[in-house]
Amino acid sequence: MKLVDTRKIRQFQAMRDPMSLQASIKESNRCLLCHDAPCSQACPAGTDPAKFIRQIKFLNYKGAARTIRNNNILGTVCSFICPVEKLCEKACSIKALEDPIDIRGLQCFAAEYGNRFKLEPQEKSLKTKAKIAVIGCGPAGMSCAAELAKMDYDVTIFEREAKSGGVGRWNIPDFRLPGSAIDQDFQNLQNLGVEIKFNSAIDAGDSISVLLAEGFEAIFIGCGLSSPFTLKMFEGFTNTYDYNSFLRMVKVNRESLQLQDKSVVVIGGGSVAIDSAVSAKACGAAKVYLVFLESLEELPADQEEIELARTMGILFRPASQVSAVISDGNRITGLTGCEIEWLEPGKFVPSNATQVPGTEFSLKADVVIQAIGTSPGKEVSQLSKGMKTSGKGVIRVGETFETSIPGLFAGGDVVNGGATVVQAVGEGKKAAVAIDHYLTGRKAI
Amino acid sequence: MKTKADLSIDFCGVRFENPFCLSSSPVSNSAEMCARAYDAGWGGIVFKTLGVETSFKVVMPSPRLNAYNLGDKRFAGLQNAEQISDRSVADNIADIAWLKKKHPDKVLISSIMGYTDPDWALLAKMSEDAGADLLELNFSCPQMAYKFSGYRVGQDFHAVEAYTEVVKKASKLPVIAKMTPNITDMVKVAMAAKAGGADAISAINTIRAISDINIDTFIPLPNIHGHSAATGFSGPMVKPVAMRFISDLYNAKELGLPISGIGGIETWVDALHFLLLGATNLQVTTGIMRYGYRIVEDMIEGLTDYMTDRNIISLSEIIGKASQKLVDPSEFNTRYQVVSVIDDTKCIGCGQCYISCHDGANQAIVFDSLERKASVDETRCVGCLLCKHVCPVWDCVTSKEVDTSVVKHAAIF
Repeated sequence: MKLVDTRKIRQFQAMRDPMSLQASIKESNRCLLCHDAPCSQACPAGTDPAKFIRQIKFLNYKGAARTIRNNNILGTVCSFICPVEKLCEKACSIKALEDPIDIRGLQCFAAEYGNRFKLEPQEKSLKTKAKIAVIGCGPAGMSCAAELAKMDYDVTIFEREAKSGGVGRWNIPDFRLPGSAIDQDFQNLQNLGVEIKFNSAIDAGDSISVLLAEGFEAIFIGCGLSSPFTLKMFEGFTNTYDYNSFLRMVKVNRESLQLQDKSVVVIGGGSVAIDSAVSAKACGAAKVYLVFLESLEELPADQEEIELARTMGILFRPASQVSAVISDGNRITGLTGCEIEWLEPGKFVPSNATQVPGTEFSLKADVVIQAIGTSPGKEVSQLSKGMKTSGKGVIRVGETFETSIPGLFAGGDVVNGGATVVQAVGEGKKAAVAIDHYLTGRKAI
Repeated sequence: MKTKADLSIDFCGVRFENPFCLSSSPVSNSAEMCARAYDAGWGGIVFKTLGVETSFKVVMPSPRLNAYNLGDKRFAGLQNAEQISDRSVADNIADIAWLKKKHPDKVLISSIMGYTDPDWALLAKMSEDAGADLLELNFSCPQMAYKFSGYRVGQDFHAVEAYTEVVKKASKLPVIAKMTPNITDMVKVAMAAKAGGADAISAINTIRAISDINIDTFIPLPNIHGHSAATGFSGPMVKPVAMRFISDLYNAKELGLPISGIGGIETWVDALHFLLLGATNLQVTTGIMRYGYRIVEDMIEGLTDYMTDRNIISLSEIIGKASQKLVDPSEFNTRYQVVSVIDDTKCIGCGQCYISCHDGANQAIVFDSLERKASVDETRCVGCLLCKHVCPVWDCVTSKEVDTSVVKHAAIF
């Protein structure tokens, strides 16, 4: 794994450059060009890396860019942030002999090549088929909309924010995902003739009935998760953030955070926790602690992110739990905590943790960021009467991503409870096929 | 205690401490360069071809090289539009004299190219007087700007014989005639050289080739101010063709001349291949242009170990051994048939063998998509072993003989 340039992180610039032509030729020539390639089978979005790598090897760079764009409307975004070591690269056959092919690097090269050399836009939707509403212009919504547009449906996306991209736009730091990548993919989506209504939140009760009344014949909900969990012990304090608002401020107004020389404690061990910790450090925090229940080996974040955090000097507190707040009025000044052990192996939830006596510690905390998970906004369950949701508010769907209401589909984080962009893209695509089957009366496969 | 292998050779009565020589090219352009090559361990050098500048003044075209790349593998071959030496005869002769004085135990071969009979005679005589051990007659440069020279002479049996005769008359030195591969049957030309008195044959000079084209300007490369030419191609890519010519020369019983082998030699294994096909002496340029004179260290050490491990004391024991195994395809024993054997503990499940066999052979590989393992359907396998050659695991695919009197082999109907 190559170490990243920490100066770029501090300037919030993309931490790696697209793979060069020279490196891409070399890397693609390492590929075994497998039969029934495992990398392609492992991509939840069906991006088909085996095909675009083969196209690069045979000098068909535009073809590679076309494959990525046509299969995955967030192909550029994924080329920056996809956890390849858990997906395509994990499946790579050559691992039996040597390092896996740098599939993300090749995807980055090809996507960039297509953008730079102006790939012809995909054909616009003829809009000869039904009107469909998509709620949310994030990965799932964009993916579903793109597939439907390609089938000549008349698609309108309703987006609460003023920009596209969802989680990538507001929560993933610029050094991991530059806004230009989202803009590029969004441009490709617009080229398909999808209509986008920004600043158009669909959050009133029974909104679905309203949309149906407006002539939309099917609806896809891809609104993501907008209610981060917070801990009771931090209620009422002014110097704590949930990861969502913190990362959003990092994206839009990081100067106002004033983290220079501060001691920051991030609670959590997932990708967003690490993004928050690295962002705080990049904003100038003197010390950033990452306190999490899991051991280092159990961390759910990607290996690359963990390596990035290490490189940036994040202070890890693995297998640890915050016990109490030390405060001065309504401001947190410190935290006390303790190391934990799991009661039962393999269950990474607070209720399964027991504190280890004699391991108590305290940390100075000028700012506390809570990154302990998230759930759908309260409004989601109210969108349609009778739409079934689970305990935490995620929408229940069947195999075809259809909700309990016929014609109402959902996918992405709001269904899976929070996964990857590439997973959301895959679900959006599958839902689009199911919507087409629903509207044409064909039975879903 | 094993006897130390001896790399020395006798070639046309001249002793070389090892068979490795620089061929006539930019790598042997000056005394200073050749001296460094000797110091690096090369047994001999063929000094860059001398011409008579009063007959024809050589000016090098620029740029004059283009590398042929195979995917990310750079320099698989090299095209050049290099001419013979552009230095004066006097300078070159002075260099040869200095080299022989400084390195009397090393072998110096003077490569010469005349445009007229007197030129050939003059260069031969001057080289001999300067102390050269052998002469090599350049009948083969594929891109000489002087029209009737180089490979055009090498394609003309009468000219080859006549010029060889002129040189033999002018000098007592042993003469090597350097062949062009840009001809159908090299043996015929070599026989002409022999008729003129040649003592040995060197082959191959470079193959006329076009290595690349700029697809925007349509100008082939190297782009020499808007034009290009089919010129000499060398390096690892030409080695299989060169080896074929060496075996042709060696197996031509009527020829019976010692051979100096040239064409893509980079490693001791390459060198050994040429020796096994019948070359006694070996020449290298492209490998040196890419990696420097130092490559001879590994050739010497590798070949010495090979011989020591097999108790081979002298190279003469192995020269030509592989050429003796070559027969006409009509003599193949087709009752001997094999089928592929895939070691499934080594199979990494890439399925390249499946694709290649399916589209390029006899659909004899079965691919289990769940287990990701390939296996051989022996009733369909024709034993071509395409699978073995595409497998990324070097020792995963082997073969076994099929008893064709018992088993119906797919290749025999």
